[in-house]
Formats: sequence, structure tokens, C-alpha cells
Amino acid sequence: MSISRRKFLGWLGAAGLGATVGQKAARAASNKHFDGYPESNGVLFDNTRCIGCRKCEEGCNKVNELPEPDRPFSDLSQLDTKRRTTAKAYTVVNRYDDTGGGKGPLYLKIQCNHCLEPACASVCFVSAFKKTATGAVTYDASVCVGCRYCMIACPFEIPAYQYDNAFSPKVMKCTMCFPRISKGLLPGCVEACPTEALTYGKRGDLLRIGRERIRKFPDRYVDHIYGENEMGGTSWLYLSQVPFKEVGLREDLGVTPAPALTSGALSVVPMVVGLWPVLLGGVYAINKRKEKIEQQEKAQAVAAAVEATEAEAKAKMKEALEFQEKQKEKAIAKAVSQALEEAAKAAEEKVSETPAEDADKKSSKEDS
Amino acid sequence: MPKGSALLRGISIIVAVTVASFLVSSTAVFGINEQPKVTPEVRADIIDIDSMKVFGKLERPSVSYLHQRHTEALEKKNKDCSVCHLSEKDPQSEKERMSTRFMRLKDTTRQEVMDIYHNNCIACHNDTKAAKEKSGPVECGECHQQQATVVSSWQPIGMDKSLHYRHSKAMDKKCEKCHHVYNEKTKKLYYAKDQEGTCRYCHRSKTEENRISLRQAAHGACVECHRERTAKNETAGPFNCEGCHEASQQKLIEIVKDVPRMQLNQPDIIFVKTSAADKEKINPLALMNLVPFNHKAHEQYNDSCRVCHHANLTGCEQCHSIQGNEDGGGVTLEQAMHRPNIDQSCIGCHESQQAQPACVGCHISFEKKQPEGTASCANCHAVPKSEIIGVVGKDDEKMMAARALGQRDAVARTYSDADLPETVVIKALSNKYEPVKLPHRKIVTTMVDKIKSNQLANFFHPENGTVCQGCHHNSPASKTPPKCISCHSKPFNAKDPFKPGLIAAYHRQCMECHKAMGIAKPVATDCTACHQKKS
Repeated sequence: MSISRRKFLGWLGAAGLGATVGQKAARAASNKHFDGYPESNGVLFDNTRCIGCRKCEEGCNKVNELPEPDRPFSDLSQLDTKRRTTAKAYTVVNRYDDTGGGKGPLYLKIQCNHCLEPACASVCFVSAFKKTATGAVTYDASVCVGCRYCMIACPFEIPAYQYDNAFSPKVMKCTMCFPRISKGLLPGCVEACPTEALTYGKRGDLLRIGRERIRKFPDRYVDHIYGENEMGGTSWLYLSQVPFKEVGLREDLGVTPAPALTSGALSVVPMVVGLWPVLLGGVYAINKRKEKIEQQEKAQAVAAAVEATEAEAKAKMKEALEFQEKQKEKAIAKAVSQALEEAAKAAEEKVSETPAEDADKKSSKEDS
Repeated sequence: MPKGSALLRGISIIVAVTVASFLVSSTAVFGINEQPKVTPEVRADIIDIDSMKVFGKLERPSVSYLHQRHTEALEKKNKDCSVCHLSEKDPQSEKERMSTRFMRLKDTTRQEVMDIYHNNCIACHNDTKAAKEKSGPVECGECHQQQATVVSSWQPIGMDKSLHYRHSKAMDKKCEKCHHVYNEKTKKLYYAKDQEGTCRYCHRSKTEENRISLRQAAHGACVECHRERTAKNETAGPFNCEGCHEASQQKLIEIVKDVPRMQLNQPDIIFVKTSAADKEKINPLALMNLVPFNHKAHEQYNDSCRVCHHANLTGCEQCHSIQGNEDGGGVTLEQAMHRPNIDQSCIGCHESQQAQPACVGCHISFEKKQPEGTASCANCHAVPKSEIIGVVGKDDEKMMAARALGQRDAVARTYSDADLPETVVIKALSNKYEPVKLPHRKIVTTMVDKIKSNQLANFFHPENGTVCQGCHHNSPASKTPPKCISCHSKPFNAKDPFKPGLIAAYHRQCMECHKAMGIAKPVATDCTACHQKKS
């Protein structure tokens, strides 16, 4: 069957209607906020306590058995350049000059924030990323196909890729030291921090600690805990002396978890997969049936037409035949009468010779 | 079909090239402003002429007028203020007084005021130009500029003790030359002895009925007087903008160190009191113990009276009643004395003193709050009210207050050297480094030395062990206070998250104090500066 323009547009309309109806339903269904696993863990970073010693980087490198860096961790001139996390460094510290109100620079440690509803996990179609009940977002290299959607999805630009590993490249990111915290140990960076600028604990406790510090020292802190609600909440939390954007944290992310941003669209997928074949099949069937009926009607009409024509032809033929017959009879009658007339004429002539005899003959013939 | 695809390809190439060239040529697409960065001139003499505001919304941007540039230009031509400013007889002082307005005494009508500016400014600029001298703009947009090309460095200036002393000396203590009050009935200004106060008690930020704004009053009085005296070749203060309002010029103002006390019948030592109205309402025995207050000493600590006397020179209790009322802005007497983060209250001001380098090292780690417990109240509320119940005369009260203060012996104190360990050896990181030898006694004696001359500090560190509590916090003052390890577990315990672990407790105690006190060495990130490498 070839698709006509009208049919195509019809399908498109049906699909559009289906999609909007589907989305509405999906939004209503996702209208709930996930507050994280109860009793899950997190880390509170306080930049008023950070001295920029990079011990956390060193601790992370050691416990995660990452490759030795090009420059030693004790080389603090590394802080002169702004860095991002790489496949070889799950966490880096950046220095922000001119922020401390004339009291020296401030620092910010970046690593995976372990979102309560991680964007990386929501985009991963093989479920390599998992938000565990411990609070850590873990990565399973064995199922990873290397699509790197996670790297694009992460609002904090954290996951890094082993581009130099040709055969089995992995996505690399902080795991909140999942193996260590499962054993009851502190994450590597937290253990290494000499000033407890990093505090590990239950996320609920950390929020209380953060609020308590702000309450006690209102002049020292911005009245906000970064990560409490950002991107729907993260397990890594931040306290800062200056507005967070001045130390490189994005303030434009909003409080909606990343998966919720796409759940509307993505929830249409099962609808497309499940409902569309039915819908399109239906449209197809309706069209098919319409065609069938059309054909049947056509055939019927043709048959009727043929019948009518045939009957007409028959009638005509009959008429013609009858006419012919009549003509024939007429001709015969005419011929007979003619013959009789001629015979009568001849007989008259004979009568003139023998008129009585002929006349008698003729009349007797006629009577007979 | 092949023809069609070739055509499409051709079109797409053309489109791509056009878009690319557009993007390259128009940097505006990327939000790049290619205008060269002009660093605006910084001046203290900018007057923002928005006089038309009183007649409604401005049609054009206001004009940034550089006053001093004009006065300097006029000076060169031997012209004075009267070129631009009219004078009128002041009905109150009956003196010729120059108006601060330009070429007018009053804002009459919109058209008239606008014409005064346009006609006079443009005419003068044109004349100057005709005389082939450097002149100002004459086109609309040159004055009414959307973006400012000059930035103001204007600093406020006030009359402090030293400046007041120099003025009163120059005026032969004739207070009436500046101070006046307004008589509601005669609608005239007159001098009332012993009622002198700061200008801003009456002259507020905006002109009100019967009183001009502080700005107008100060410029009318100060500038006029300085100008007159300069004209008479007498010593006088500046009358250009910079002289008073430029930070660098303000530093040049002579400061007299030992200013004699101003004489306004103020007390030396008194009890902080409740008002007479409150005394009638409330049984005096239900009040707090009395606070003896050394007014004389506090005069010396501050630059001017208005640090505390923010609205007038009467006693606090005159406006701030125990229950709070409209006169006191709803601020009760208790709040007026104890409110934190405000300079006028006792605690607010005392707390701000903790930011001094000698104090901040310890006090940075303490929460700023009103200390709880009767012991801390008794620091100030020292005299039981029963003691003055029978006292009638004011002078007797003052004597009692003086006696109460005299009993205080505010001296810097700590334990004797023998009781102070000389060094404390910390072995918490002995797996990585050599033990740290903390110069304990040196730290204590240095800290005590630094606060020795500070009466406030001495008074509020009453016990030998109070200074020790800077580090040995959250425990009573004692000769043998608990050690760090007594409370801080090793390592950090997530089950007790409000308490730092031992390593962080050590590091933060040292580093935060050093940072706050501005002690540059040892650098916080230099481990071996404190921890000797293990041999």
C-alpha cells in the first residue's frame, strides 16, 4: 500500500495527540520528590576551613590506586591553574583569589556530588551508574558501553573518560570511596583532611551541622547549604564564606533533579513502543478495511452494471429478433399476397378467355 | 533527481558561507563588546544635577557636573561663587547667605528652572569658546550622558572630637557661631547654652519642614565660613570638594591627640538608670542590679558623642523605656544595652572590639551571643539595688557608682610561670613526623601581654584561667584545664559529628588563630614548619 500525503498527515496528527496525552499522564505520575535514601551518607565541605593543602587529592589518589600525577601533590603552584576532574584525578582543589575579603584566597574541592537523583544514572541505558543506599553513586564498568552520555548529562561536568585506554576504556569518577565506606572507613579525602574542612556523616546530620555553623557564625557564612536542594539535592554539601558562584559552583541549576527534567519526554518512550504499534496498526487496519469495502462495493457495482447491460442487450436482441420475425412474416405475407394477386390476375386473364371457369376456380381456391 | 540534489547542495553551501561570514564579521553575536575599555576618571566633586526631579520624571539622563573643575576655572579669571550662586538675606541670622542652588533661590516652575540651566550653562560655554579658551559642552547629549564617564570617590566627613576641639579653639569657644536651636513660636534660630548637639540631630538626610538637609546645612555653614575666613586671610579649612570629601585629603587633616573633655554637664561615673516614668510603674526591687558606668572613660574611647548618643545628648532611658515605646523606636532599655551587631549598645560595641588583632585570635572561634548565666550578668550588674534604696541625692548616687567602679581591679592576669607548662609535646602524628613542641608558655604570656593595656579585655578576663579558655574552651577556667585529647577523639567519629576529631582540633585551633591574628608564619600548608621530618 502506498502512503498518501493525507494519510501521512493523519498519522502525524494522531501521533501528536497521543504524545501530549501521554506526557500529561507522565508528569502527573512523576509528581513526587525523592529526598534521598534515609540514613544515606554524604560529605560536608566548608571552605572557611580549607587551607588548600591538597592532602585530599593525595588521599584520594592513594586509596583509589590512581596513577601518580605529573607534579607531586605537595606542589601547591598547581593551584595557579583552574582544573577539572580527570580520569586520573577523581577530585581537585581550585583556588579562588580575591574572594576572602582581603583575608587570603578561598578554595573549593570538586568531585562527584553524588546527586540524590543522578543525571548520569538516568541517561545510562545499561544502568552502569547506580545510586546506592549508602549515598554513593557507583559505576559498573562491566556493563558500560562507552557511550559517555553520563559525561554530557552531568551538570557538574564530573565523569571523565579513559581516552588513553584503547581496549577497555572506563568512565572515571569519585565513588565516595564506596568500598571503604561499606567497610565503615572514611572516604580517602575526608580522612586526609587535616582541618576537617570535609566532614563525613549521615546527610541529615551534615545538614544539621551546616545549619548550626551558620547559626553560630552568621558573619562567616553565606546563609545557604549548597547541595541541599541543588539539582534535587546532592550527597556532597558545601558551606561557603562568599556567594557560591564566586568559588566556581553553578548557581543556575535550580532545584529540579535531572531525571525529572527528562521524565516527561522519556515517559513517552514506553508509550511510543507499546501504544504506537497499536495505534498505527489501528489506523492501518481502518484504512485497509475501508479499501476492502470500497473494492467490494466496486465489484458489486460492476456486477450490477454488467447485469443491467446484459439485460438490456438481451431485451434489445429480443426486440430485434422479434422485429426480424415480424418483418419476415410480413415479407412472407406480402409475398403470398403478391403471389395470390398475380395468380388472380392470371386467372382473370384466363377467364376473359374462360372467365367463368377462372372465376370459379379462383373463388373455389379462395374458399378452400 | 540528480539535478535537484545538486541544486540543494549548492544552496546549502551558499547558506553556510553566509552564516559563517556573518558570525565572523558580527562579534555582537557572541556578546563581545568590542568597545575599548575606558577607565573612568575618579573624582570627589561630582554633583549629580537632577534638579528637574521635583517636577516629575526626568526626560533625559541627569548631568554629572564637576564642581571643582568650574571653581578652578573661575578662580583663574578672578571670579567667585556669585557667578553661579545667588545670595539672599537669611531671615533668621539676618546675614547674606549664598544659595546652594544654581542661579536661583527657589525651584519655581519646570520651564523656568530648565531655562536657567540651559541658558546660563550654554551661554557661558559659548562665550568661553569664543574667547578661544577651553570650554564645556553645548550639545544636549554631551551633558546628558547615558553612561557615566566619571566615578565618584566621595567620602562622608563628620566632626570628630579633634576637629571639634580645633574649631572651638579657633572660635574662642564661641559655641553660638555654629550651634543653634529653632524657636517654634518666633520661627527663628537662637543659641541655647548647654543645649548644643550634633548637627544631624536636627538636620537629617532630607530637607524637612523648618529644617534644611544636613548636606545643605553643612555646605552653607562650613563652606561659607571657610570661604569668608580665607578671603580675610585667616586660617580656614578647605572649601573645595576634595578638601573634605577625598579620602587622601581627609588623612591630611590634623588630629589633636589629647582633646580636653567637652563640657556639657555630663557625668563622670553614674549608674545606668531607668526613667522616672518606669520607676513609677515598676517596683524598683523587681529590677536588675545596677550597672555603674564610667562615662568619662567612654568619652575617651570614642571619636564623638554620637557613637552612643545617636539621636540626642540625653540619657538612654529618656527614649528607651523598659517596655519600649514610640520615642525609642520600640527598642526596650534592655535591647538598647544588649543588642549585638550594633555600635550604640554596650554589648554590640564591646563585641566589635573583639575584632582587634590582639583579641580576634581567640574570639573568632566563639559564637557571638549574650552569655548566659547569672555570673556573666553580674560582671556589669554589680551593685544590688537594695544598696541605693535609701540614697536620695544625685551626688550620693554618683559617689556610690564611683566607689563600685573603684572596687574593680581590672588587671591582666594569668597563672604564674611555674604553673604554666613551658612546652607541650604533641605526638598525635608521631607515625609520620617527629613530635611537635608547642611553646605553650610563650603563647600564653604573649597573648596576655597584648591585652595588658586594654581595660575592656582586663575587665572581662577576670580570672587567672579566663585567658586559657581561648584554647581550653568549653570547660571552666582552671589551673589544670582538660587537654585537647580529653574531648576530641582520634580519629574523627562520625557518630559525634559536631565535635572535630583530634587532628582537626589541633590544626584548626592553631591555624585559625594565626590566620585571624595575621601571623604569616608558619604557613598553614607547610607541614614541616611545625612537624619536623622524621629522621
